[in-house]
Amino acid sequence: MMLNQKPLVSPLLVLREEFDDWAILFNPDTGDSFGLNPVSVFIFKHLDGANTLHDITQKLRLECQGTPDDAEQYVQVFIDDLVERGFAGYEIGAGS
Amino acid sequence: MMVMKTPKSVDLSITNNCNLRCSYCYHFTSESESGSDLSTDEWLCFFEELNRCAVMDVTIAGGEPFLRGDLKELIEGVVRNRMRFSILSNGTLITDEMAAFIAATGRCNSVQISIDGSFPGSHDAFRGEGNFAKAVAGLKHLQNHHIPVTVRVTIHRHNVNDLEAIARFLFDELKLPGFSTNAASYAGLCRSFADEVQLTVDERSLAMETLLRLNKQYEGRIVAQAGPLAEAHHWLEMEAARLEKREPMTDCGYLRSCGGVFSKMAVRADGEMVPCSQMSHIELGRINRDDLGEVWRNHPELIRLRDRRDISLGEFDSCKECEYLPYCRGNCPAMAYTIVGDENHPSPDACLRLFLEAGGRLPEPA
Repeated sequence: MMLNQKPLVSPLLVLREEFDDWAILFNPDTGDSFGLNPVSVFIFKHLDGANTLHDITQKLRLECQGTPDDAEQYVQVFIDDLVERGFAGYEIGAGS
Repeated sequence: MMVMKTPKSVDLSITNNCNLRCSYCYHFTSESESGSDLSTDEWLCFFEELNRCAVMDVTIAGGEPFLRGDLKELIEGVVRNRMRFSILSNGTLITDEMAAFIAATGRCNSVQISIDGSFPGSHDAFRGEGNFAKAVAGLKHLQNHHIPVTVRVTIHRHNVNDLEAIARFLFDELKLPGFSTNAASYAGLCRSFADEVQLTVDERSLAMETLLRLNKQYEGRIVAQAGPLAEAHHWLEMEAARLEKREPMTDCGYLRSCGGVFSKMAVRADGEMVPCSQMSHIELGRINRDDLGEVWRNHPELIRLRDRRDISLGEFDSCKECEYLPYCRGNCPAMAYTIVGDENHPSPDACLRLFLEAGGRLPEPA
């Protein structure tokens, strides 16, 4: 992922948020569902095509106490995993 | 027990109409048969709310859902709103063209067809002449398009001696991976035909014994959440626990048999939200008028049903001295309502002690 790219989640995915801030990420095309912890939910909700990896990590630092120095790497791994599964992508031409 | 923010699944009775009048249909003459069917637009509008609530699956039922001329439009609405679907059907109206349409959506979890016999006489006894052939034809259309097909066998007095042949027919001839069973239960139309339809105690014992044997033979490919096979599994476990004086089993000793109200709800054909299609007498609000999430989280009747799990079986005269109490969850609330008029009561229908007192016998463990 290039630093100025702004990832965007697939609008087909369903994010079921629950009371304890965890969520189920549901892919209706396959029926697969995944549990997301509160940090993952926070990141997922910022994959709206308006935030770069750096933006998201900065917002995460403001939201969560004790965010580790190398958090950006972990955010990137999570986003890369979503992209690999076809759950997120980048607008063609945007930031490239 | 945690309640989800919104229901994960919703059962939709999209029509009150059916081309059959099966003698043990839970729908007809029950409270679920009420009012007139909603229009296409009303359902489509509701599907948008289901999308906003992040509902994952709907089960499309009736009546007979394939009777609705706008079924394709409704399914397209389900798909457009990011949900998957299952359909419950008698199978008789499913055409090759409709099966192709369902397959093309890529969102169908399963279509459940009711097949109650291995030959027309057994199936048609209570479903009407000619319907065995039509149901099997419908099922084959679905199979031809690689749609996951499940079969529900409702066990009654005219097919209880046909179970072995039914299993052979479904597994060997139709090549199904599995099927599920229940029994004609005291609800809907069955209440008018109970003596002709419902299993006697001896027949119930026979059904349990036969199904356990068949399930062993077919390596666990027969499943059940209610009826003789489910009872055989649960009752044998209860009896073993009682004989060995085991500690109370998980969730037992309380009315905790049904967790449905924690994850799903239903909508009647007239648009009334209800806790379950078999508890259609409890009206929670109207779709497209009342907010689904608000009803789900705060309706006093749903809270009352969820609190059911805190009611000890020891509070009931019929249960407090029962040796099976530490191993019993009180059974289906809908059946409890139908039989004793109260959901927050154990259902006598699936009571092991009553079954044994009536002369019933438990099968040998498989």
